[in-house]
Amino acid sequence: MLNPLRSEEEAFRFLLYVVAVVVVLVVAVLVLRALL
Amino acid sequence: MEAGALAPGRTVAHDEHDHHGPPEANRSSRVEPSLLGMLLFIISEVMIFGAFFTAYFFIRVVNGDAWPAEGTELPKLIAGVNTAILLSSSFTLHWAETALKADNRFGFQAGMFTTFALGATFLFIQINEYVHIGFSPQDSAQGTVFYGLTGLHGAHVAVGLTLLAIVNTRAFRGHFSAKEHRGVEVPGIYWHFVDVMWIVVYSTVYIL
Repeated sequence: MLNPLRSEEEAFRFLLYVVAVVVVLVVAVLVLRALL
Repeated sequence: MEAGALAPGRTVAHDEHDHHGPPEANRSSRVEPSLLGMLLFIISEVMIFGAFFTAYFFIRVVNGDAWPAEGTELPKLIAGVNTAILLSSSFTLHWAETALKADNRFGFQAGMFTTFALGATFLFIQINEYVHIGFSPQDSAQGTVFYGLTGLHGAHVAVGLTLLAIVNTRAFRGHFSAKEHRGVEVPGIYWHFVDVMWIVVYSTVYIL
């Protein structure tokens, strides 16, 4: 299981996941705002 | 004296516990101490940021106030470029750590120096943004929260830069190796955490 506190490598991978999730959420919110 | 024989006046119990330095620290947790320390630190950090985000959501969701305050504008594009700069610094840091593990000292030094330079650039641009943004913390609740959130993050970047400066100095003095790199690993984890927080701050404060 990914533990961002265990090593720099895992923290970096966690950062990439966060970026991916945030991009998806922001795009979803902006699309919903445009539609509603 | 024969090897393994006890010194005069010593017992087996004496020799078993005979070591230099202070006594070993008591471990009350099954979690590794350095990991536990970092975990508690990050949890306290998340709570500090959480307090500021609570104020932000109170203004926007509970009060339903305009964001940013009427008559003000946030420099989304400049902050976006700044986000890219900070994000790249995580890539260069990871590159430095990977180079160190591969015994590539030049790659490690170049990666660490670039990371520091990118972090310093981020902070410089943010200070420049404060100078030209056109509103101050006391102007409105939105202004207070904006400066509070971005300033709190900026303070973390400043702390991270201090850690990176120490790592850089040691890197150029020949410290660390493929096997001994704890002093790079821990500031690295902290720097990625600072980046994660910025991604959340940028997306909520500037974009949404």
